[in-house]
Amino acid sequence: MDNFLQLLIYGLQLGSIYALLAIGYTMVFGIIRMINMAHCDFLMMGCYMVYFLVSVLFGGEMIGPAVALLVVMAGSSVIGMVGVGIERVAYRPLRNRPTIMCMISAIGVSIFTQNLFRALPFIGPNPRSFPKLIEDFTINVGAVKISFTRIVTVTLSIFIMLLLWFVIQNTKIGMHMRAVSNDKDAAALMGVNINRVISITFFIGAFLAAVSGSFYASSYPVMQPTMAVTLGNKAFIAAVCGGIGDIRGAVLGGFVIGVAEILVTSVWSEFAYGFCFLVLVVILLFKPEGLLGKPMTEKV
Amino acid sequence: MRMLDVKDLHVSYGAIKALRGVDFHVEEGEIVALIGSNGAGKTTTLRTISGLERAFKGEILFKGENICRTAPDKIVGMGITHVPEGRRVFTNLTVMGNLKMAASLRKDKAAVKRDVEAVFDRFPRLKERMNQSALTLSGGEQQMLAVGRAMVTGGELIMMDEPSMGLAPMIVEEIFHVIDEMHRSGKTILLVEQNAMMALKYADRAYVYETGSVRLEGNAKEMLNNPIVKETYLGA
Repeated sequence: MDNFLQLLIYGLQLGSIYALLAIGYTMVFGIIRMINMAHCDFLMMGCYMVYFLVSVLFGGEMIGPAVALLVVMAGSSVIGMVGVGIERVAYRPLRNRPTIMCMISAIGVSIFTQNLFRALPFIGPNPRSFPKLIEDFTINVGAVKISFTRIVTVTLSIFIMLLLWFVIQNTKIGMHMRAVSNDKDAAALMGVNINRVISITFFIGAFLAAVSGSFYASSYPVMQPTMAVTLGNKAFIAAVCGGIGDIRGAVLGGFVIGVAEILVTSVWSEFAYGFCFLVLVVILLFKPEGLLGKPMTEKV
Repeated sequence: MRMLDVKDLHVSYGAIKALRGVDFHVEEGEIVALIGSNGAGKTTTLRTISGLERAFKGEILFKGENICRTAPDKIVGMGITHVPEGRRVFTNLTVMGNLKMAASLRKDKAAVKRDVEAVFDRFPRLKERMNQSALTLSGGEQQMLAVGRAMVTGGELIMMDEPSMGLAPMIVEEIFHVIDEMHRSGKTILLVEQNAMMALKYADRAYVYETGSVRLEGNAKEMLNNPIVKETYLGA
């Protein structure tokens, strides 16, 4: 039982990282009906961004929780802007073409980014270690050990997700986002600037991916340009499992995949990645629209 | 004053030419109807005026200003309100949410509130369903909501695309009644309709479309008696 609780804690931590990443996939899909295959690279960029900020500003010293939070938010905001830029350059010109073209463009962006990062002399193909941002310590609850990093990761992730939900449900921009995802043309006819709404969506998606990168690297501190590929795949699976286009679904899917992966890892670690796909197949067999998704109807 | 002037408008979807040189105009305060068979290009015309489609040739002058290259949201801001074909209400928002969306560009909160009240006075059924998802509305109620949105957006030129489509005759009467009221309150109306009889009854002038261009134009009441129109579109 204790062992199970311990694994559950790990699973929640990994799940919150997947959830943050999955939100980006699902929001972009919701708004332009396109799978952003380059989404995972925002995670990787986020890690490097924080790495450089910490090395340049603080010489790689430990910086304490408050400053660390500030640095992560600032670094992730920069990546958010990178997301906006990539949409403008690589996806917007293809907006009115079949979505498959956008997706191919995204694959191109992903391969280009990873190889560009490998080629840049100050990044390079070799792994680097993510700086330790905060002093970590362990809290014992009975026989269960919970590290401070894990607590911060899970609580901050949940806080961010609740904040996002509030913005989408209760603010004007949130309403515009929902309207655009429901019917782009009709939203434009109400005077909504579609391009602006799409840019904001990309900013949020890339920002959350970068934040999840910092969370991930705080526990698994090995960075390299291709580090995010498997993470991205799993987060994408999470988004589909939860029902793509639905933010709550992405969160639920993220936690389901995170916990499932950790549980399987504890008994058969080689199979864990494969098991995520198995979960996907089983969910799609019984509920093709995903756990929280609504069946999509093509109106004629 | 000439409100809208469309000159030699050409639009195509890939290789398919949807409009091959359309010319028409709308004077301030008029109701102008565009009639014609399915696929003749009436909807494309409205979508191009709204900026949802791009013309590759020709011009669209709104109060003398060419809006061919203007973004849709800017066009709404200039005063053109488009009620699209098929109602297109936001099914993931409530009735109230839909009306709020229609006020996206308006800053005068008090006036918006008044206009929303006016919509609810005109369509009491929308008031009852204020906090319900627009998905749960019947077709007729959705059309009321679509017209209600236009009342809230409040442009000078209101373009209606097939407001009667798929609706029961009684509701069609009601919708046209509201269009007539909007017209009396000073709006200019550009109406696209398959229900040519209904459209011609309310319109001042009409244009008859045929495969991407205007074939006939004239006074709506005279057109009701035009043998060609009668035979082709009024089923007489």
